[in-house]
Amino acid sequence: MKRFLLLLASLLLTVPVAAKDQLHLYNWNNYIAPETVKRFEDFCQCEVVQTYYSDNEELLAKLAAGAKGYDILVPTSNAMQALIKGGQLKPIDKPQLPNLKNIDPVYLNTPFDPDNKYSVPYAMSLTVIGYNDQKIKELGLPTDTWAVVFEPKYLEKLKGRITVLDSSNELFAAAFKYLGYSANDTDEKHWRQCVDLIKKAKPYWAAFNASSYIKELTVGNIWLVHGYSNDIFQANLDAHAAGRPFHILHGMPKEGAVLAVDNMVIHKDAPRPDLALKFMNFMLDGKNSAELTNLIGSGNPNTGAMKYIKPEILKNPVIFPDKTVQPKLEQLKDLTTAQRRLRNRLWTEIKAGR
Amino acid sequence: MGYAFLYIPLIIVVIYSFNNSRLNAEWVGFTLDWYDKLFNDEDMLTAAANSLAIALVASLVSTVLGTMAGFAMYRYKTRLLPILVLTPIAIPEILMGVSLLIFFVLMNFTLGLVSVTLAHISFCIGFVAIVVRARLAGMDESLTEAARDCGASPWNAFRYITLPLIMPGVIAGALMAFTLSIDDFVITFFTAGAGTITLPLQIYSMIKIAVTPEVNAVSTLLMLLTLALIIIASRVSPSLLRSD
Repeated sequence: MKRFLLLLASLLLTVPVAAKDQLHLYNWNNYIAPETVKRFEDFCQCEVVQTYYSDNEELLAKLAAGAKGYDILVPTSNAMQALIKGGQLKPIDKPQLPNLKNIDPVYLNTPFDPDNKYSVPYAMSLTVIGYNDQKIKELGLPTDTWAVVFEPKYLEKLKGRITVLDSSNELFAAAFKYLGYSANDTDEKHWRQCVDLIKKAKPYWAAFNASSYIKELTVGNIWLVHGYSNDIFQANLDAHAAGRPFHILHGMPKEGAVLAVDNMVIHKDAPRPDLALKFMNFMLDGKNSAELTNLIGSGNPNTGAMKYIKPEILKNPVIFPDKTVQPKLEQLKDLTTAQRRLRNRLWTEIKAGR
Repeated sequence: MGYAFLYIPLIIVVIYSFNNSRLNAEWVGFTLDWYDKLFNDEDMLTAAANSLAIALVASLVSTVLGTMAGFAMYRYKTRLLPILVLTPIAIPEILMGVSLLIFFVLMNFTLGLVSVTLAHISFCIGFVAIVVRARLAGMDESLTEAARDCGASPWNAFRYITLPLIMPGVIAGALMAFTLSIDDFVITFFTAGAGTITLPLQIYSMIKIAVTPEVNAVSTLLMLLTLALIIIASRVSPSLLRSD
């Protein structure tokens, strides 16, 4: 009997440890610092499994068709609103997020998710001007206005050396801002004005480019871009690493710009909503949140993060816009079906026309 | 001349995988750093391993099924069969991806490596079938008939006469299925589940942060692998790749 018990005990001891808990994070690529992931894994005794998307539409399409298995998603505000409307998200249990107090109230309770029933802000970026400091100084061009992207008198000096984003929403928003309208303007007459403005500027633009402009800036082929603040930050890092004699800097147009806020949300079929909440609270911690900003130069809505952010990033007025600029920043809203149809038609007209 | 257009970009990809610059725009100096980085990049390695596993299984299974389908299309001249087999080739990938995803969800099938492999098999079968049928169409039917006259069972006639004759077609179909599977993006994107990453998905999601020569390095290794497969195939049976 004793031997039997001994055998039983030894059997029990050799039973393999149960598989580790897993948190499935559906995220943009390179959108969380590896050391943060590591620390969270140690903290929750679990494994973070990341899958990536490169476009909000990818995320929406996939979830709309019924894909499951993701705990945390990180959509941009307008895509998040679509997910909320589609009933794809699980309300968050705020008492479990004590670190929510770190978030700047400016970024809470937005029309995209009133009262933050489903989401907490994660990180953000602006669509601004990026430029080669040496060349732009030589040419004596301004970098604090969208005029440099749209006005032929400036563009003459930049012909073939400037690119704009290959995104109708972003380009129209920049044109709206330059003309003094809201980035979400819905007046058809104003849309027409934008088309005229863009058509006049287009012959000077080297390309509509949303992917390789980082490289073009770094190499020195392109001197000024309409692009995302994170990308411009990356271009500057790359230029530095490659030993270029110039810097790639951010220019904040005085007319205002598009702000894109990415938010953490929990999918309705999340296998581990408990881990998801732990992760949210963990990422709302100042230090953890700061690591992403230090990695990719993203804007940070977390007031607790400021003391951990590298000073050179913290003093960048585009990554951390001050109170005078903040009111001029707008998040893009989704278009209605009819508006989208018109927008597509105008976009085709712009791209195909000469 | 035509081959130059095909091979020069490939050679450039290989050369730049040794380039000592993150930018991939101009030659700076020779380095093996990107390979070092690649072998320490767990995400990329998992993705590559997944892609290879999926492509191997998908090409094996779809070659068997596709050969059978091709043979059936050749032997029984029904109207329905070709439509069934060839539709997956003709319909847009995105449609197929979405419908497969909806199907898997309806069946309550957990999305993952298995669902991706099944999806790949389903679109590869048609390609294999086409190649095999074309090969069969060019075959001298009297050879099989002679075998049957000499007393071979239908299976033996197929096994010892037809199959060896159509083997180059089967191998070509298998290689085609392998390459189609390994670089498929759209269908894979829809049928992959949480945590399932293949090489094309991984590379595509990296576009946002500019592709580094690490991608060149992984592409170079894949090219070497494909080259090795072809060389092995031609060594094992030199006649397989000759289109006599």
